[in-house]
Amino acid sequence: MYSLHLSPEQLQIRDTVRDFVARDIKPLALAPTRLEAPTRPLLVEALDKASHIGLRTLALSEGKSGAGADNLTCCIVTEELAVGDADIAAVLAHTSTLAGALFDSLMTPEQCARFLPAFLTEQRYHVALAEHEDGRDATLGVNYHRPQASEPPFSTAAVRTGDEWIIQGCKDRVVGASIAALFAVRATIGKGRATTLLVPRDAPGLTVMASENSQHWQHGACGSLIFDRCRVPAQNLLAADAALFSDHGRRIPQEQAITLGIGRAAYEAALDYAQLRVQGGRPLIEHQAIGAKLAEIAVRLEVARTAIWQAAWASDHPDAFTDGSLPDLPLTMITAVFASEAIYRAVKDAAECFGAMGVMRDMPLQKYVQDARICLHSGMGSSEAKLRIAEALARYRRPPSAAVLAAE
Amino acid sequence: MDFTLSNEQRAWQMTARKFAEEEIRPLSLERDEIADPRETFDWEIIKKGSKLGFRTLAVPKEWGGHGTDFVTQALVMAELAKADSAISKTFSQCWKWSHLIAAACSEEQKRRFLKPFLEDDAFLLGKGISEPSAGSDNRLPPGDPKAGLKLKAERQGDHWILNGEKCFIANASVGKLFFIDARTDPNAPLRQGTTMFLVPRDTPGLRIGKVFNKSGWRFYQNGEMIFENARVPHANVVGAVNGSDMKSHAAGDRTGGDLFGDLELAANALGVCDDACAMALALARAKRQGGRALFEQQVIQLKLNKMHLLTEALRSFVMRVAWEHDHKVRSANAGLCMNFSTEVIQEVTEINLDLYANAGVLDRRAEKLVRDAIIWSHLAGDSVQRMKATRRLAN
Repeated sequence: MYSLHLSPEQLQIRDTVRDFVARDIKPLALAPTRLEAPTRPLLVEALDKASHIGLRTLALSEGKSGAGADNLTCCIVTEELAVGDADIAAVLAHTSTLAGALFDSLMTPEQCARFLPAFLTEQRYHVALAEHEDGRDATLGVNYHRPQASEPPFSTAAVRTGDEWIIQGCKDRVVGASIAALFAVRATIGKGRATTLLVPRDAPGLTVMASENSQHWQHGACGSLIFDRCRVPAQNLLAADAALFSDHGRRIPQEQAITLGIGRAAYEAALDYAQLRVQGGRPLIEHQAIGAKLAEIAVRLEVARTAIWQAAWASDHPDAFTDGSLPDLPLTMITAVFASEAIYRAVKDAAECFGAMGVMRDMPLQKYVQDARICLHSGMGSSEAKLRIAEALARYRRPPSAAVLAAE
Repeated sequence: MDFTLSNEQRAWQMTARKFAEEEIRPLSLERDEIADPRETFDWEIIKKGSKLGFRTLAVPKEWGGHGTDFVTQALVMAELAKADSAISKTFSQCWKWSHLIAAACSEEQKRRFLKPFLEDDAFLLGKGISEPSAGSDNRLPPGDPKAGLKLKAERQGDHWILNGEKCFIANASVGKLFFIDARTDPNAPLRQGTTMFLVPRDTPGLRIGKVFNKSGWRFYQNGEMIFENARVPHANVVGAVNGSDMKSHAAGDRTGGDLFGDLELAANALGVCDDACAMALALARAKRQGGRALFEQQVIQLKLNKMHLLTEALRSFVMRVAWEHDHKVRSANAGLCMNFSTEVIQEVTEINLDLYANAGVLDRRAEKLVRDAIIWSHLAGDSVQRMKATRRLAN
């Protein structure tokens, strides 16, 4: 049963995306003027082209006019995209995954009928998840292996008034915020109950503010949402939302695929340069010091990819956990810790091969270092992930009353 | 073993600390974040520091400088770097070449160049070695005459005519006097065919090209120097024609290394580490989670432990190398210490940033320190710099 053969479709889409990235993304993403600028706005034209070849609707089922790709395929595509540009990769991955979850399982037929047609026809229609809140102390930290709640309630709250929900609050680190047409907003209703509301970008009372990547350690043209008596119809409440937000430890490892893509871009650049640049009478790669360094970079990338593919495949086959094929562990979180640290190291090593050119803003390597650094600090971060993994190792379960207690 | 500082060393350290905290730190982040690399520089801070002696610290007393020892120099570099690594480096770059003037220039050259350097608060020094096709080849030259720098100097009567290009040259856009290595015998290997020239900024035929846009050390100016039939008097040859290895030999540095330069990067790194440690400790004490200070968490304590133990190990190594320099003890230690400082500065600044990011605190300075630290990769810790230090062990 164990097989790492990709299907002909998977190989084809990988190669198609690889060509697309080389032709349509890299030249734009690596233009010196863009690299040198203090901020790098999202390459929306390239994003539109990617959407045109079906990458925005990759995870949406074929029945809903998507490509119906599984998580492994999505991760392969995300890696390829991130070789070209991490922000494009992040926006597409988030839209595609979230759209798959929303339209295929979480929305009612009535909700689908309202939102799906526009999503399918408008190439720039992106969806974004608004979950993170500044100051919402969701980290395990002091609560490691203690019965206190680890998931405090959202301070963003929705109140039902007539046939509308009135939302009040703020969200930040919303991937794709600068471009998304529809937001899935996590909010508290009633007595600390978390739920999700569909909020169109033009909803009255919603303000979207773009922010720079380095300000929030997240790829993907992020931004903040401010809800000031924001109103949406009562029918915009998602009835079933548990599946989308449960188990961070086993979800699709798409952030890690982005990290891998950044690592690969740096590695490919270093490998090319090491074969071209002559110092000490030989091309760099013929020197042991550089050869061994490139080998180490390749080792990190290959091991990371193996872990990512395994976690992606596992997220496609949850039964492999129950039948004992896979260890009962949060594989995606494990992958996140390894990939972010190993690839940051690999990218720094790749930059070192370029000497001083590796730190210049108009050259690609410093961008890869910066992008890999964002991956290192994005999401919950390695320290927090390690504590969560440790609780999983010990099979630690919080008493069910803990979350309720903390909410009151 | 006596780790006590003399009164004079302590006085310099305190003056540097006060200047760094009161004058450098307030403008550090602001200068770093200016987008145009030509605009990050600030003459006022240089002039203020110069008046306190931080530009001319290393010039011997008999020539009117402060004649400080290496221990003092290490202390001052670290104190200045605690506030801004790049500004500290701008000052110490002048010390690096003051050492060279004192060690390698003739009495006549010293009179001609040291006097104006001492008198002018805006007189900065630089040295041009790197070229687009010659980086590592200058550091560890292979025997092939075609390898290494290519800037050509040809004798014409009492002058030399220089043609070619230098890149990444420190202080290129702000310096008034440069030591330029040029090939005077294209058929000899680098070390035997290169001559060092004193080249004033206003030399006809010399112009400054682009200023490089670095991700860190943004205050520090690295630029291109373009020589088009630049005329340099023969009187400006430092040492002998085809004998440019002056920098190390004349300074009595038989290790083949750069006596001051290796210590310089390590001492600068130490200052940055001190800053990162202070930032991390302040965060761990002030930031609370679940009603308790972050400091109470074991994983936070272990990170702080790593930062501090690395920083203190670096301090011991830096001060030992400085002391060895003062006592003319020659070994591979300066190079090893510089290599070590790369690991230390990068790990310490990265842990600091990690602490801030995990605590959900956006701190642009924590990020700046990491960007500054990346510079060490190619300056102090790449494989060539490591092998160079190792080879001293075998010599």
